[in-house]
Amino acid sequence: MHPALQAILVILGGVGGCVGYFYASNLILDKVLFPARGPQAGRNINRANLVRPWLFLAPALAALTLYLAYPVFATFWRSLLNQAGQFVGLANYAKMAHEPKFTEALGNNLLWLIVVPAAATGFGLLAAQLTDRIRWGNLAKSLIFMPMAISFVGASVIFKLIYDTREANLPQIGILNALWLKAEGGIGSVLILQLLPFALVVSLIAGFAYLGWLVLRPLWRRRDETAWIRVGRVIGAAVAVFLVIELASWAYGIATADLPYGQPQAWLQIPYWNNFFLMAVLIWIQTGFAMVILSAALRGVPEDTIEAAVLDGANPFQIFFRIKVPQIVGTIVVVWTTITITVLKVFDIVYAMTNGQWETQVLANYMYDKLFRAFDWGMGAAAAMVIMALVTPILVWNVWNARREMR
Amino acid sequence: MKRMLTASAATLALLSGAALAQDLVFPVGEGAFNWDSYKAFDAANNLDGQTLTIFGPWRGEDQVLAESVFAYFAAATGVKVNYSSSESYEQQIVIDTEAGSPPNIAILPQPGLIADLVKKGKVTALGQETQDWLAQNYAAGDSWVGLGSFAGPDGTKALYAFPYKIDVKSLVWYVPENFEDAGYEIPETMEDLKALTEQIVADGGTPWCIGLGSGGATGWPATDWVEDLMLRTQPADLYDQWVSNELPFNSPEVVGAIEEFGWFAKTDANVAGGASAVTSTDFRDSPKGLFTSPPQCYLHHQASFIPSFFPEGTQVGTDADFFYMPAYAGKDLGKPVLGAGTLAFITKDSDASRAFIEFLKTPIAHEVWMAQKSFLTPMKTVNADLYGDPTMKKMGEILLNATTFRFDASDLMPGAVGAGSFWTGMVDFVGGKSAQEVADAIQASWPK
Amino acid sequence: MDNIVGKKPALLWAVHLSVLALVLLWVLPVVGLLVSSFRTGDQIVSSGWWQALSAQEAQQPAIRIAGTEVAQDGVFAISGNLYGGKGGAISAWGTSSREPEAHAPGDTAELADGLRLTVQENGDFSLTSPASLADQRLPRVFTTASTPPEFTLQNYRNVLFSPLAGQSIGQAFLNTLTVAIPATVIPILVAAFAAYALAWMEFPGRALLVAFIVGLLVVPLQLALIPLLQFHNWIGIGKGYLSIWMAHTGFGLPLAIYLLRNYMVGLPKDIIENARVDGATEFQIFIRIILPLSFPALASFAIFQFLWTWNDLLVAMVFLGTDNDKLVLTGNLVNLMGSRGGDWEILSASAFVSIAVPLLVFFSMQRFLVRGLLAGSVK
Repeated sequence: MHPALQAILVILGGVGGCVGYFYASNLILDKVLFPARGPQAGRNINRANLVRPWLFLAPALAALTLYLAYPVFATFWRSLLNQAGQFVGLANYAKMAHEPKFTEALGNNLLWLIVVPAAATGFGLLAAQLTDRIRWGNLAKSLIFMPMAISFVGASVIFKLIYDTREANLPQIGILNALWLKAEGGIGSVLILQLLPFALVVSLIAGFAYLGWLVLRPLWRRRDETAWIRVGRVIGAAVAVFLVIELASWAYGIATADLPYGQPQAWLQIPYWNNFFLMAVLIWIQTGFAMVILSAALRGVPEDTIEAAVLDGANPFQIFFRIKVPQIVGTIVVVWTTITITVLKVFDIVYAMTNGQWETQVLANYMYDKLFRAFDWGMGAAAAMVIMALVTPILVWNVWNARREMR
Repeated sequence: MKRMLTASAATLALLSGAALAQDLVFPVGEGAFNWDSYKAFDAANNLDGQTLTIFGPWRGEDQVLAESVFAYFAAATGVKVNYSSSESYEQQIVIDTEAGSPPNIAILPQPGLIADLVKKGKVTALGQETQDWLAQNYAAGDSWVGLGSFAGPDGTKALYAFPYKIDVKSLVWYVPENFEDAGYEIPETMEDLKALTEQIVADGGTPWCIGLGSGGATGWPATDWVEDLMLRTQPADLYDQWVSNELPFNSPEVVGAIEEFGWFAKTDANVAGGASAVTSTDFRDSPKGLFTSPPQCYLHHQASFIPSFFPEGTQVGTDADFFYMPAYAGKDLGKPVLGAGTLAFITKDSDASRAFIEFLKTPIAHEVWMAQKSFLTPMKTVNADLYGDPTMKKMGEILLNATTFRFDASDLMPGAVGAGSFWTGMVDFVGGKSAQEVADAIQASWPK
Repeated sequence: MDNIVGKKPALLWAVHLSVLALVLLWVLPVVGLLVSSFRTGDQIVSSGWWQALSAQEAQQPAIRIAGTEVAQDGVFAISGNLYGGKGGAISAWGTSSREPEAHAPGDTAELADGLRLTVQENGDFSLTSPASLADQRLPRVFTTASTPPEFTLQNYRNVLFSPLAGQSIGQAFLNTLTVAIPATVIPILVAAFAAYALAWMEFPGRALLVAFIVGLLVVPLQLALIPLLQFHNWIGIGKGYLSIWMAHTGFGLPLAIYLLRNYMVGLPKDIIENARVDGATEFQIFIRIILPLSFPALASFAIFQFLWTWNDLLVAMVFLGTDNDKLVLTGNLVNLMGSRGGDWEILSASAFVSIAVPLLVFFSMQRFLVRGLLAGSVK
């Protein structure tokens, strides 16, 4: 049979099969097993409603268990074995904790986890809100979405064309270096390369300080919150304080930096900052995702709430932050979560551009390295378990959010 | 969609003839090929209807060349050959063998990876007969048997992989006319090469183009340098001990070889762009410095594949040429040659798999590729006149004149070192760390 | 919404300008790739893509004299144009790599063995020699010249019609569609039912199940490949289309359920409760109310799942197999690149070939992404 014909049959069979399964199983449940008739009608309806969710969930749960949950347990078990397959307990984890590359990867991953979801969601929200208001919005959206359609390998090529470095006496083919070499240390370069970033960073510091304060303040104002929420607030504030300190060191660095004008820079080889050049690739890709989802959510905000705010004399910023954003918080959580998970899993970018050299290692690439370069499946599995453990806070946040929604 | 399909079909029809992979590039019976060997193989094998899956590292132009060879196997045996490759073929082969659906034949350039697969019992041994055949029919046969032999799951060593297609690495590329313009001679000894380097600096030029950049694999070109210099400063058996870590990576012999490389790469005046440009320059861009005017550099150390990255239209032999990376006259170590190559092994046994290994023993499997392009073979019974261009012939001579041939050490070492800390260590070394510091770190990363 | 902004033209301008800035920032890298895809490999590595449109004054690579020899009065002569008639204006030239700018256009240089070479500003040259030049290495000419911009379609020709990949790109397109469409449709349907149960049905452990699914999102694919391929081999489907459809369905489900559940939770509660009061069964509610209302979420997930299956190489290689007649587009394009990579011209052209279909899907699905229409009608 021709595969294309087979594909059509699969679509028809799959769709028909799924619908048929759901329809038939419902029918059997309602008419045969627990008919809503006779003396036990009431009890039967309750029983049917107890079983029905599992009917709806069954195919998905079966596939999830087989395709993802089982590999997780297999992986966990593998992480307890050594290279030869003997049980060694937590030795792989202990060994990993002593590897400098692992601690480096962990540190970098935390940086990625803060920066990439925040930047991609932020840009995505901005793009979604702004493009909704103008006539060529759909065109703009398509253009911002375009990077989503490029494979990671393609994206790495694109950014290689941006970060490329040549010696000073050759024509640069990387646009970043070409622009950088245009700056020659005059008053203009100081203004653009030092004063402007300094101002941006300082305003970011102010923003995070304010946010931290907002998160922390209810701790002693409101006594009715549960302990978990209080812990969450303290953690949130701690992150804000960390960011403020980090950014303050940036601001100091920017203000006092003696920039090497006229020398082409190997961007991907400047420790610490090269992480941000790699993150830029993922932000560039993921913003389109955030924008599409958030834009749908924004359009779903009921018109009457906005009209009421307009009548009350709210300005566009107030409408955006006070009316729209609170109504789409659920979607923002979803987007944030999805991008966070992409960050945890993505290794293609680091693999293709630096392979973790020059202190850019991340956990996913570390895992790949152990699996397919060193053939140390135990260590690779252990690294995978660490990646999965890192998602726990997000998990808690999602459970909390789901519970709140159900109330 | 449909229009495009017809358009591409039409173009394919136009291109067919020479282009379609299944056609035989050289008609059977014509030319100076060993057709007898082909006819004998044809007569001995009839496996109509079977299929053979081959998974290898060759893509692009190399894939076309490889498939032109496989076409002869298909024509002789009636087996349908499916060749495929991938940019992450190492990962692919590990997954496929682990999961139990491997290709029939896998071809890999990393003996380290093959050793791992053999240890896990995923590879079929080739047998004593093939081992004897290699020892007799390959020049320096015993070293090739050694290369393809690995410890099996029970720990006994046997031949598992068949070396096929060799690359020579000990080459220095240059532009003959630039040498003529400046009045330089081709160095015959390492002392001369160093003197030439200093001479070029004194004349106001830059001798070397060295680029270690290779994306995620950045650093590997430096491992070739260190291996070549190791072979030129230490006897070959020390090289073997280094590969197996009997000689620790941070022993003075190895550190000495690394420092020797530092003499070339870490002296600002010796490299185009200065030492700081070495790690950021891509290995594919690096040789282009030979062809600028005035030349950015006069010399470039790289394996036999590098002409694919010369500017378009460059004629090797006229516009660019190479010489053997010379040995020290002061050390009595002969003429060592560093090489790399690919090894074929059976991951799923079948009549067709066995027949394919038999096919690799026929001269025709080598001659068809070497008569086209970029193929070297140590097989003694092939007709050396068939080399497609004089360059290949000259490389073949380097192979023949070698008193010692050694395989790329980084491919032989465990993946964690050979495709990991050795690369990164070299980047750190050129970036400023001392040879001892770097060697200590690499030794620490050696899996125990 | 327009009325808010409509009154303040200054604000509207700010919106236009910021969107423009954002779009430019996002498009610039792609433009770089697009321009590069029309240049030769040599051009890409020798000058920045933003200079591709302007004439360049630069040191050109050495050009070796070539042409047919004409003998006249005992003098052998070769003439022709250095640039093959493509144009260019020479400002200086030379024949030694040490002095590439030794001569001005129109000068005649005396070379060894009585050779005389004249090069004109437009690249015309004439070389004369007292002895025949046949079988001799002809001199190189170094020129400093401004050359007009030059573009080529060769990269696209290579990608679309090259026989290098072993099969036509049309077949690869068809294979990829065969993989991608069922692998997009099936998970959506399965996930939609599950998402509805998680969003609107009461049962114990619901929040935990949501957490379980979010947790599964993070499972690294590389680890799942071996156990699953083993499983497929064990149940006997091995490698093939069925195998890859199942794999993509399994891998795509967590995100599908997660996105759809989140969306369905936000649907107006009263519609569903009214329907329940009116005696509709859960199945009817799902088919008649939830599915149509969830169209934007279904469409957006469909886009992402399609993109993911379209751009995937790893899962296809593992579960579909590596036979030539089953090669997907990404596999086909990878084969075009040389064994050592770095063929930027092929990479850039192939990126645009493979991006075409996903973009088309995005454009055609875009109007389904809007919820306003549907949501408005039910109010």
